[in-house]
Amino acid sequence: MLWKNTINELLKIATKIRSYIGIGALTLLIIIVLFAMIADGKSYIGFVTASFEQTLSFNGKILNGNLIAFIIMQMLIVHVPLLISLVTGDLLSGEEAAGTIRMLATKPISRTGIVLSKWIAATIYTLIMTVWLGFLSLFVAKWMFGTGDLIVLNSNGLLIIPEADLAWRFGLALLIAFLALWTVATLSLAFSAFAKNSVGPIVSTMSVIILFTIIGTLDVSVFDSIKPYMFTTHMAAWRSVFEDPYPTSAIWESVLILVAHIAVLLGITLFRFNKKDITS
Amino acid sequence: MALIEVSHLAKNFGSFHAVKDVSFHVNEGDVFGFLGPNGAGKSTTIRCLLSLIRPTDGEIKFFGKSLNQNRSEVLTRVGCIIEKPDFYKYLSAQRNLEIFARISGKDITKRQIQEMIDFVGLNGREGDKVSGFSHGMKQRLGIAQTLLHNPDVIILDEPTTGLDPQGIIEVRNLILRLRDEQKKTVLLSSHQLSEIEIIANRMVIINQGRTIVEGNVHELLEKQSMNLEISVANPTVFEETIQREFSSLTARLVYQGTYHIEMEEDIRQPLIQRLVETGCGVKAVIPKRSLEDFFIKMTEK
Repeated sequence: MLWKNTINELLKIATKIRSYIGIGALTLLIIIVLFAMIADGKSYIGFVTASFEQTLSFNGKILNGNLIAFIIMQMLIVHVPLLISLVTGDLLSGEEAAGTIRMLATKPISRTGIVLSKWIAATIYTLIMTVWLGFLSLFVAKWMFGTGDLIVLNSNGLLIIPEADLAWRFGLALLIAFLALWTVATLSLAFSAFAKNSVGPIVSTMSVIILFTIIGTLDVSVFDSIKPYMFTTHMAAWRSVFEDPYPTSAIWESVLILVAHIAVLLGITLFRFNKKDITS
Repeated sequence: MALIEVSHLAKNFGSFHAVKDVSFHVNEGDVFGFLGPNGAGKSTTIRCLLSLIRPTDGEIKFFGKSLNQNRSEVLTRVGCIIEKPDFYKYLSAQRNLEIFARISGKDITKRQIQEMIDFVGLNGREGDKVSGFSHGMKQRLGIAQTLLHNPDVIILDEPTTGLDPQGIIEVRNLILRLRDEQKKTVLLSSHQLSEIEIIANRMVIINQGRTIVEGNVHELLEKQSMNLEISVANPTVFEETIQREFSSLTARLVYQGTYHIEMEEDIRQPLIQRLVETGCGVKAVIPKRSLEDFFIKMTEK
């Protein structure tokens, strides 16, 4: 029954217009970035490398597909959660608003089964969005700009990662990015279990992300104890994959905290939906 | 055999007691009327029966098994419409039925879905999006969804709400077909008392969250006082005759020359005979022992 309802949920997602808003917006944003880089990419890179040009000599193609992919991922990873929650925040609350929750909850599938099938569908949608982000940013950028070594500017200075060392790093980065987006999807599903329309869960999800991000960036010691446990702190963990040496323990810590968030948020959703009286 | 048994059902929403003590049973083959005024707790009771709402107290059994412990098994054998059937408006009628068929607990083929579409008269419209359907069409699709998995028990909560007279007749005829041709057990909640009187063989009336009366529709109506509506050409003679010879009766003027008469004992025959003899000019005598009167009497107590 769980898998049959997961098919139903995927079918519902696939036939809703809002599901394509996210994919469309993501595609459009990436196309805009790609064209911006074609038009003015050299001066953009020049701005970054200017401070090093007196001490370093850059040979080869700096503005390549790998660098563009890295830039796109940095730019969009903050905004993709909104596009994801557009769909996942509607999964339970949308049924409540449409009244179809009555039809669904009077079928022999358990309430836990309903939530899990929606969560699995949300996971698949998030995965598709992440793969699409990866495909457009990596493969299309490489096709348009060619390949080459990746120059990464971080707090330790300038790091040049050889092209041969990049495939697994991008793969792992996308995997961690998926985990972060999966947390957001589960968060909006949890909000969705408390709401009677989809606006509330979407706004609440974005509010939580914005609030936690602000707390994370505030240099105030009172928040220091909670910062390591906020999921937003670990949403950018994918960037650590492009460090040298690669910080294995920090990445594992981020992965565990994100997985713990997913487990807790899913637990809250299951508890709430199982206890809920459907009166609409 | 009782297919549905409800014992001392209670449901509180915070400090509000929506259902206080509701008990009734529905036998196999019954078309069971579930009646009560607005706010009596009908919808809450029906939602408890379908596990949409968790009861605070009491027990619900279907087919002799506790609903709480056998939810999935029970719901596989139950079909329902709660108030108005809501569907995924962005999907076609057929796709909606496929979605509900997939989680009905039974293997339902596309052919069976098509047969059900034909049964409710939506053939030719199955590919259309539900967003373009009228209320009546959605109601018919709701009935198709209810019957799709061939349930033993059908629960219909206000199935004729918002329908035009034609739609009401269609739904009524459909319920009669289910009763007569398919021998289904139907629990029907409705405000259309005349409909219940025609269709149902048993009923329960609840008020303020409690069971008021339960039993066979015709037996219950037999027990209530006999009422008549009499139209006469000579009201003065009529009123004098009633006052003089039938002082135990209550006669109330409804409109000019027409009286509503309530009697505890059945004295229709001597009453009419006497009214004719005294020259009242009896024009019409209409028996008024209806479910409507019975319902009002029961819920006014």
